[in-house]
Amino acid sequence: MPIKPPYVMRTILLIFSWLVPALALGQTAPFKPVFTNMTEIGALFGQVKFGTQGMETVSKRVNLTAQTFNGVLLNPRLAVGATVGVDWYNAALLTPICAGARYDLARPNDKNLRIFASLDTGWGFSWLNEDAAGYKTSGGWVISPGIGFRIGNVSNSNFVMALSYKRQEAEADKPLFSNELAKHETRVYNRIAIRLGVSF
Amino acid sequence: MKANRLLFLLLAPLFWQTGCTDRCEETRTFRRYTPVTLTLTQVREGVRVEEPRELKQPGKIYTKSGYLFINELKEGIHLIDNRDPSAPKQIAFLRIPGNGDMAVRDNILYADSYMDLVAFDITNPAQPREVNRVQSVFTNGQFDGGWWNVNAQTLTLSDQRVDYVTETRKTDCDAAGSSNWASCPTCMVDIGFASAAFDSKTAPSSNGTAGSMARFALYNNFLYTVSQSDMQLFNIQNAANPKQSSRVNLGSGIETIFPYKDKLFIGSQTGMHIYDNSNPANPTRLATFQHARVCDPVAVNGDIAYVTLRNGTQCGGYTNQLDVVDISSLTAPRLIKSYPMANPHGLGVDFPTLFICEGKHGLKTFDATSAIDIKQMEHLAGQDAYDVIPLNKTLLMIGKDGLYQFDYTNPARLRQLSKIMVSRPYAY
Repeated sequence: MPIKPPYVMRTILLIFSWLVPALALGQTAPFKPVFTNMTEIGALFGQVKFGTQGMETVSKRVNLTAQTFNGVLLNPRLAVGATVGVDWYNAALLTPICAGARYDLARPNDKNLRIFASLDTGWGFSWLNEDAAGYKTSGGWVISPGIGFRIGNVSNSNFVMALSYKRQEAEADKPLFSNELAKHETRVYNRIAIRLGVSF
Repeated sequence: MKANRLLFLLLAPLFWQTGCTDRCEETRTFRRYTPVTLTLTQVREGVRVEEPRELKQPGKIYTKSGYLFINELKEGIHLIDNRDPSAPKQIAFLRIPGNGDMAVRDNILYADSYMDLVAFDITNPAQPREVNRVQSVFTNGQFDGGWWNVNAQTLTLSDQRVDYVTETRKTDCDAAGSSNWASCPTCMVDIGFASAAFDSKTAPSSNGTAGSMARFALYNNFLYTVSQSDMQLFNIQNAANPKQSSRVNLGSGIETIFPYKDKLFIGSQTGMHIYDNSNPANPTRLATFQHARVCDPVAVNGDIAYVTLRNGTQCGGYTNQLDVVDISSLTAPRLIKSYPMANPHGLGVDFPTLFICEGKHGLKTFDATSAIDIKQMEHLAGQDAYDVIPLNKTLLMIGKDGLYQFDYTNPARLRQLSKIMVSRPYAY
């Protein structure tokens, strides 16, 4: 099957959005608004309980997640910008595009460790998702608050480790059996994300 | 300050306890079938004329001499005075238990009532009168997916009542792939819509015009009725006194029948059969144009047959297209070109204008002057479109939310004349 052009374009755009920050390296100036980036990869941990009442089953879920935050450091503690990512859920490949903020909560003992809080919210798109015949998946609202720490000198690249909560909504139309008129699924993914990455 | 931060760190894992469970809910609306038993006497005594009522589940549409007949699935026929298409008037409801199809010749309306064929005198359309009945001529059939059959020994009829049920269940959020289409057990049944409109100009003037998936057709001195697998002929030389005639086996999955010149085109779920009807008492098969197993209403004009293939609940398959078929050689129909469509249902042709109902995607009109280059002229979105009858520059279109009438003097710009509301028993 030939690859659809929009698919290729979106993939290129996505890769670009990850590469561009590299060009901006070294533009640090303490009291002027400067560009900042935080790129992470990690896993989304969760579980799901399903079935009819009295016959419920639980199964655990782990899915891959990657994201990059690109923003402007407004003051030494607060950065605002956009977060673009990809989340590989079992039944949907979603591309969240969010407005994001990073705020430094503390720098214990003025060492090379900073604790920060993060908040991203926006819309998860299903652009990259391929649907099986009869299915139609669409994305939805996403919000992700979290905390993390970065290790490294303020003026250099830092190593990042973060823990966050992620709520992602999605919807799907499903194929119908002969006696069915409509079948629709609303999904809410509630996950804990653990991510590792770099920032500068 | 420091303590606050510590608290924050401690609180974070709480999400783990409370918030890390995916919640997925599937809401589905489906037909639930409940068995019911009726006596044949009950069925036969159930015919009567009632006050006009709301359209709920319209089935086939039929028009004759300014009157419009709309089947209410399994219930009867809405009689509508449509001499002024911009102000149609409901004049009566003819209750016929187990009715799904109809045809009109002169002043006689033929309608099925489960196992019987009933003839009504409609000289006064507001007061139809039962004049004759061919008893126990059909043995089984289905409405909305629910089957009925006659038990000749006990003189009873087993039917299935259909209820529309919506239920919600928790899912594992994982169903994105393996679809179970292949195991769909009742995919051979079809819905009351899906359709074919034949060219009105070729029908003798005393007959009406069928729209939807006509299973009744009039030609010469015969009424042709198709079931899932058979074609039953009735001799109607004396229109008020139909006589049971021969029966022809057609194969399975039969959906529609329409006469064109001296041919019968029979739409089935696997192809289009062409029957030679030069001897109207004994149609013989000429050829079959095969295609994927989907629903396939057909319209014919001259040497060209327009076949729409669609997928959907009752139809199986994943094809949505318009096939233009050369039938100049009736024994060897040949595909000219396929055009991609969204979800085509009924269609109608008033050459060179072709009307295609795209289900929830609305109605499209095409310029079909050249079979290899059919051009879209207009797309009316915003209403559901199942089936059409183009007749004398007035287009009758039925959809889930109503019966619309359009003036198509300018086919590139349809003008709505009127709408009769439909109130469905379910929301989809």
